[in-house]
Amino acid sequence: MSLLEIEDLRVTFSTRHGVVTALDGVSLSLEAGETLAVVGESGCGKSITALSTMGLIPMPPGRIAGGAIRLAGEDLTRASDARLRAMRGAEIAMIFQEPMTSLNPVFTVGHQIAEAILLHQTVSRDQAWRDAVALLDRVGIPSPDARARDYPHQLSGGMRQRVMIAMAVSCRPKVLIADEPTTALDVTVQAQIFDLLNEIQHDFGAAVLLITHDMGAVSEMADRVAVMYAGRVIETGQADDVLDHSRHPYTQGLIDCIPSVDHGGALREIPGVVPPLHLLGAGCAFAERCDHARDQCRSAKPGLRETGGHLAACHGAAEGWL
Amino acid sequence: MSGFLTRRILYGLMLMLGVVVLNFLLIRLAPGDPAVVIAGEMGGATEEMLESIREEYGLNEPVLVQLGIYLGNVIRGDLGESFFFNQPVAGLIAQRIGPTILLVITAQLLSILLGVFLGVLAARKPGGLMSAFVSVFATIGYAVPVFWTGIMLIILFASVFPIFPVEGMASVKLRDAPWYVQWADIAHHLILPAFTLAIIYLAQYARLSRASMLEVLGSDYIRTARAKGAAERTVLFRHALRNAALPILTVAGLQFGNLISGALLVETVFNWPGMGRLAFDSILRRDYPTIMGVLFFASAMVVVANILTDLSYRLADPRLRGRT
Repeated sequence: MSLLEIEDLRVTFSTRHGVVTALDGVSLSLEAGETLAVVGESGCGKSITALSTMGLIPMPPGRIAGGAIRLAGEDLTRASDARLRAMRGAEIAMIFQEPMTSLNPVFTVGHQIAEAILLHQTVSRDQAWRDAVALLDRVGIPSPDARARDYPHQLSGGMRQRVMIAMAVSCRPKVLIADEPTTALDVTVQAQIFDLLNEIQHDFGAAVLLITHDMGAVSEMADRVAVMYAGRVIETGQADDVLDHSRHPYTQGLIDCIPSVDHGGALREIPGVVPPLHLLGAGCAFAERCDHARDQCRSAKPGLRETGGHLAACHGAAEGWL
Repeated sequence: MSGFLTRRILYGLMLMLGVVVLNFLLIRLAPGDPAVVIAGEMGGATEEMLESIREEYGLNEPVLVQLGIYLGNVIRGDLGESFFFNQPVAGLIAQRIGPTILLVITAQLLSILLGVFLGVLAARKPGGLMSAFVSVFATIGYAVPVFWTGIMLIILFASVFPIFPVEGMASVKLRDAPWYVQWADIAHHLILPAFTLAIIYLAQYARLSRASMLEVLGSDYIRTARAKGAAERTVLFRHALRNAALPILTVAGLQFGNLISGALLVETVFNWPGMGRLAFDSILRRDYPTIMGVLFFASAMVVVANILTDLSYRLADPRLRGRT
């Protein structure tokens, strides 16, 4: 049994265009201590996957229409609100994309970390504060005693993300979800944050679900990777295997987009955009943007199938004409 | 911080000076001659008697000279003597400012606490029944004039459900009762006028805090609070409300002046023995020193309220601390 198992998860949203399917049968699994990267463009469903796991999808308009999210065997989609609150922050914690806006501006950072501790552990306020200071020290914040009394606006973006990480690991969660933790930071700080995440994972033994659109981050951090497109997992396997021998044209496109000094010249991109979810047809969602698409691709959705050592959802890869 | 406070108090004093000068000139622009009113109280008068009244009250001097004399007196703490009551204005106001402050502060607290509470409840489910109720209630509360609400409440509680006193501030028969009985009696008398005065502002605060809360509840740090496992009540009242409070404080500070002018009407309707009643009477009698004195204290209350608002900003939002 995996630590975290997402099985055939379907999440829908009621919108002006009717009910759209944001996640269409997503299955992922995460073993204790490993890092799984979920990769894709904006709108592919990776953040929705993370928020569903936390039980933080606003309902309505969102709805879990099917499937299961199992944490150590317990189905979270059937758990009570009280059980979800007890789980959040304690067993699964999350680091968000925007450190600038993810901390409450009217409380000190020490207070915000101590609050997370007090919510899940029976310790005194003083002890929680001391733990918060120790955590700030652990995530590499200089003079943590003084910084704990600072408000978020007094810290830089990188510092704030370190605070978020300290808060997330404060109760030693089994699963740490990092939703594009470095997107809003500049490049040198990005590297520091990834290093810190690696260390923290090593120290605390948490499994990490890393949500990103950055293939560079995947190669640096991940044991395994799942590539998502339009609400479905379209390729998944060991990270180096998928990166070196990707079978799905979309994954290949993402890898070609990694800027490299060898390429020279212009940055590459995948032509076109992710189709709006309410306009998805019967075929492969990527067909419109795919150079290799055939009639079959426009009429039938490909399922995940074993091709060359890992799973890919592509007719061409499965039938060998790609 | 203390530099900020000193500066705000200095601004406040300058503002008061401007208010006194403007009030003085505006009242003298209004038609009507106090000498005629005073003479009228005495049962009519000849032109010579009017002239001697003007002489006695200093009304013959040019307006600017009168202003100079008045300002000099005010700076020495002398607000003059009422034409009508023949008593020092300061004493008249001292007798009446307590009930007005009691009424205004109670109405302000009632409207903020109740309004914000309703607004927060409404923001929890923006499409829900509570939300619709707050919107409708806010529109009605905003549209209905305060004297009409007062009269309706008097009718309701004087004849239909006679549970609240509808007139005055204390019962004569309890004059010799112990202090706590008298206080309870005053509180009992306070309910209707305070609620009447509060209702407009209550509706505004409900609508404002609903909007402000909805905006805050969509922000990233609220998601963070939920991701920590905080209970919904904690998220609403601790994480969100502190952030949603700033616009509410701003409006509360601005509305304080309106609240005082509203108190004038409410005091008249409920016969509440405050400054409003005094202002009303002295305007009708062209009792210049009393009008000026009432306006002086009313504007002082507004200036103090604004300084307190600025201070409470800094308590509510740490990003504003350290700025001057």
